[in-house]
Amino acid sequence: MAEYFFELLTEEIPAWMHDAAQNTLREKLSPISDTVTITTTPRRIIFFLPQLADKEPDREQEVKGPPKKAAYDASGNPTQALSGFLKKNNATIDDVIDAGDYVMIRRKVAGRAIGDILQERVPDIVGSLRWPKMMRWGTGEHSYIRPIHSIVSVLDGAHLPITILGVASGMTTVGHRTLAPHSIKVTSYNDYVHALEEARVIVDITRRRHVMAERARVLANQVGGTPAMDASIWVQWQYLTEYPGLVRAEFRRDYLALPEEVLVTVMRVHQKQLPIRNADNSLTNYFLAVLDNDGDPEGNAAYGNSFVTNARFADAQFFFETDRKKKLEERLPQLEHLQFQEKLGNYREKTDRIVAIAQAILNVAPPPPAARTAEGGGATVTAAQLCKTDLVTEMVKEFTDLQGKIGGIYARAERYPDEVWQAIYDHYLPQNADDPLPRTQSGAVVSLADKIDNVAGFFKIGLKPTGSKDPFALRRAAQGIVQILLNRDKRQVPIAVSDLIDIALKTHAAPASAGESIREFFAERVQTILETSAYGFAYDEIQAAMAAGWQGLLPDLVDRITALKAVRNESNFLSLLDSAKRIENITEGHDSTTIDASKLENETEKRLNELAGVVASQVDELIAGRHYRDALQSFAALAPELETFFRDVMVMVDDEAVRKNRMSLLRKIGSAAGKIADVTKIVVARADYKKP
Amino acid sequence: MSRVTFQSLILTLQRFWADRGCMIETPLDLEVGAGTMHPATFLRVLGPEPWSVAYVQPSRRPADGRYGNNPFRLGKHYQFQVVLKPSPLDVQDLYLDSLRAIGLDLTKHDIRFEEDNWEAPTLGAWGVGWQILLDGMEITQFTYFQQAGGIDLAPMSAEITYGLERLTMFLSRQSSVYDIEWGAGFNYGGVRSQDEYESSKYAFEIADIDLYWKLFDSYEHEAKHCLDEKLVLPAYEFTLKCSNAFNVLDARGAISVTERVAVMKRVRDLAIECARQFLAAREALGFPLLRASNG
Repeated sequence: MAEYFFELLTEEIPAWMHDAAQNTLREKLSPISDTVTITTTPRRIIFFLPQLADKEPDREQEVKGPPKKAAYDASGNPTQALSGFLKKNNATIDDVIDAGDYVMIRRKVAGRAIGDILQERVPDIVGSLRWPKMMRWGTGEHSYIRPIHSIVSVLDGAHLPITILGVASGMTTVGHRTLAPHSIKVTSYNDYVHALEEARVIVDITRRRHVMAERARVLANQVGGTPAMDASIWVQWQYLTEYPGLVRAEFRRDYLALPEEVLVTVMRVHQKQLPIRNADNSLTNYFLAVLDNDGDPEGNAAYGNSFVTNARFADAQFFFETDRKKKLEERLPQLEHLQFQEKLGNYREKTDRIVAIAQAILNVAPPPPAARTAEGGGATVTAAQLCKTDLVTEMVKEFTDLQGKIGGIYARAERYPDEVWQAIYDHYLPQNADDPLPRTQSGAVVSLADKIDNVAGFFKIGLKPTGSKDPFALRRAAQGIVQILLNRDKRQVPIAVSDLIDIALKTHAAPASAGESIREFFAERVQTILETSAYGFAYDEIQAAMAAGWQGLLPDLVDRITALKAVRNESNFLSLLDSAKRIENITEGHDSTTIDASKLENETEKRLNELAGVVASQVDELIAGRHYRDALQSFAALAPELETFFRDVMVMVDDEAVRKNRMSLLRKIGSAAGKIADVTKIVVARADYKKP
Repeated sequence: MSRVTFQSLILTLQRFWADRGCMIETPLDLEVGAGTMHPATFLRVLGPEPWSVAYVQPSRRPADGRYGNNPFRLGKHYQFQVVLKPSPLDVQDLYLDSLRAIGLDLTKHDIRFEEDNWEAPTLGAWGVGWQILLDGMEITQFTYFQQAGGIDLAPMSAEITYGLERLTMFLSRQSSVYDIEWGAGFNYGGVRSQDEYESSKYAFEIADIDLYWKLFDSYEHEAKHCLDEKLVLPAYEFTLKCSNAFNVLDARGAISVTERVAVMKRVRDLAIECARQFLAAREALGFPLLRASNG
């Protein structure tokens, strides 16, 4: 067995790129070694392969040569072509084996030594890592994430020379950039880890994280608080330091009067700091900051972090005070100067459309009392009118990711009712699959109106998403709409997908062609979301139910799929499926369900007609009551009768009147189930069904 | 640490970089938004000729003005700019040494290089690098230039831009920029606050919008005129004047979102043509600095 150890020393690699780089490396190293240890620090990429075979196993190699016809002359002697082929492959005529029309050689190839393999593969694997943003340096010859300084390449205690992007390897590295910047000779991975620890570099990511987590707990505890849980900060911190430490700093207490969202955004997003919270989850004026040193003996880092955070908050306070001098309502005219999109007008015009769409939604899906009783034409409409006004506040210009929230906070401060300010606050939700929905029905309606306005508008002007390109985030908007429409708690907005699309098309005066592509677009979204959601629906179940209509109320679609999912595993599903398929085949192109009883000739069809009448009304009743599963079962119960019918009665007779009458009868039966799902789209493995 | 003043910082940094082979340039005598726009950076990073330079550059950003009321934001601040071409492999260590030179014991401070890439759309320029945080506060922008005037660069330049006010404030433990000492007993507020107030008032309230549009058009016209005559440095100066007129109009709120992109493109088109002609002119001269450095 052999062990190999590698370190690439670069300049600071962006924190967000580390995880992906490690994954790529792991994948590319796996063919060389089953056991791979990979770790990174801000300026090191390190891997250790502790259990390498000394060499590859020997193997047999087959090489295809010229056609037999060309390889041997008339008397069976090797031609020029064959001897050339053998010479090229360093083989003899004895290596030739029989392989049909062609000559083939098989021979033993000795496995290469691990050193040779590593020398060939490691420079390629490391040198060809694709980073999200590459750069050149020095002479500009090479391109990588950051300039490469040195390479350690050690196989079983000895230097294994390699060269990556013009840098030759060796057996020395350096310690921490400022705390121990001396060179260190290394001979094994274990030595390396220890030597670097002494030189103020903790190689292991988990250890760096543990050190910080423990420190965070202690520092927060000392002021009676707990560090905010925020995985995204930890992920960054672990790649920002080689010798991790934390410092507790504080900001002026009076800044606590600023909206919490602003304080947290400044600390988290802009400063990569972690707020400390009280037991009741309110913010303290303390926070934690990372530092690349295990302590802050002179309080410099505490001072610096307080300084910069206070400066940021001073700005925020200035914006807050400036903004509060003007009411949201008074900002509406300013929206005229803020362009939404060249062909879709400014934000004032967009606001007007949001209001119109929201009102139309409410006409179809009347609001609960809470929204009706608010002043000024309803809470929903008020929220719709004000929802974009924060775009012209100083605060949102500075902290763009707080759009919506800032409007909500200002509306709350202006004493708008909860239903209004919460709707403004929430109207960008949901942005991602795991985001919460708006808290109120008004919020849901404004969110729907804003998002469908985006979709309809951009489709109208021909800017729909193509391939992986979706610059206006329309897929995300449509996904948010579907998430809201699927909801069935007190916030639900009971509007059909088709109605919502029609409202938006009308508001945009968009042509019918835009409507078609929007429907297609939404069909894809609905299918995707249902497939990946917690429902656990299968592709064919969704297809089958959607074929029976998907543009109505989405919770209804979910109920139909749920019913289908339940019955497909029952023993009589096969007969249901077969009945549906036979009906579909035989009645293709025939739409009528009107039956002339006088033309029913034999007893079997008369009986089926009676049953069909009973079952159809039963199924309709069950569908009306949304008992989809029972409805499918009622239909399935007809299967034996249908079988008798198909056996005893000829549908395709010459008499057109009789033929059509029989088709209508089948159609009537089929259409009952077809209101729930097109079961013929369900894919079954027949062997899985036990005979009843 | 001995008492740090605005000027002691400048003097120390100049000495430090001069000792490491940098020529000390003087500030450009035109209004610019950043030290990068000085021809000693923007034009000299082009082409194969080596270049090492350091200089202070007053940098005007009218929209950042706060009437002298904000302790951190200024409509005009001073940058200390260093350009090393080609970028030496030990450039980060050189930079850390410069911090030691101004009196920082780096074992007692936190220094981090956090990703921060730079892009100047009006110059057709971008680079990759970091903001350098000292105890959590950004004190320097560090950029490896990749492209300038739309031209891919080689060899590559490293640009180090120190924020002088920030650094002085922090080192002298002042909580307002106006309280730092400039030197010789003068403080920054005494020297600059009237300027900040008047310049803010001018840029936000008084500047004649029609005049600045006319100026913009005229400067652009004259830049093109110079380019037609193959006079690249005058052309570049008029390009910078366009850029400043744009900044004043922007602070004045006179440029709509729609116009913005188009106006920036007009400046960029000039900058790109300047870069192209500068490179051609240097080539016609046989890249003289290349010979000087070889001999």
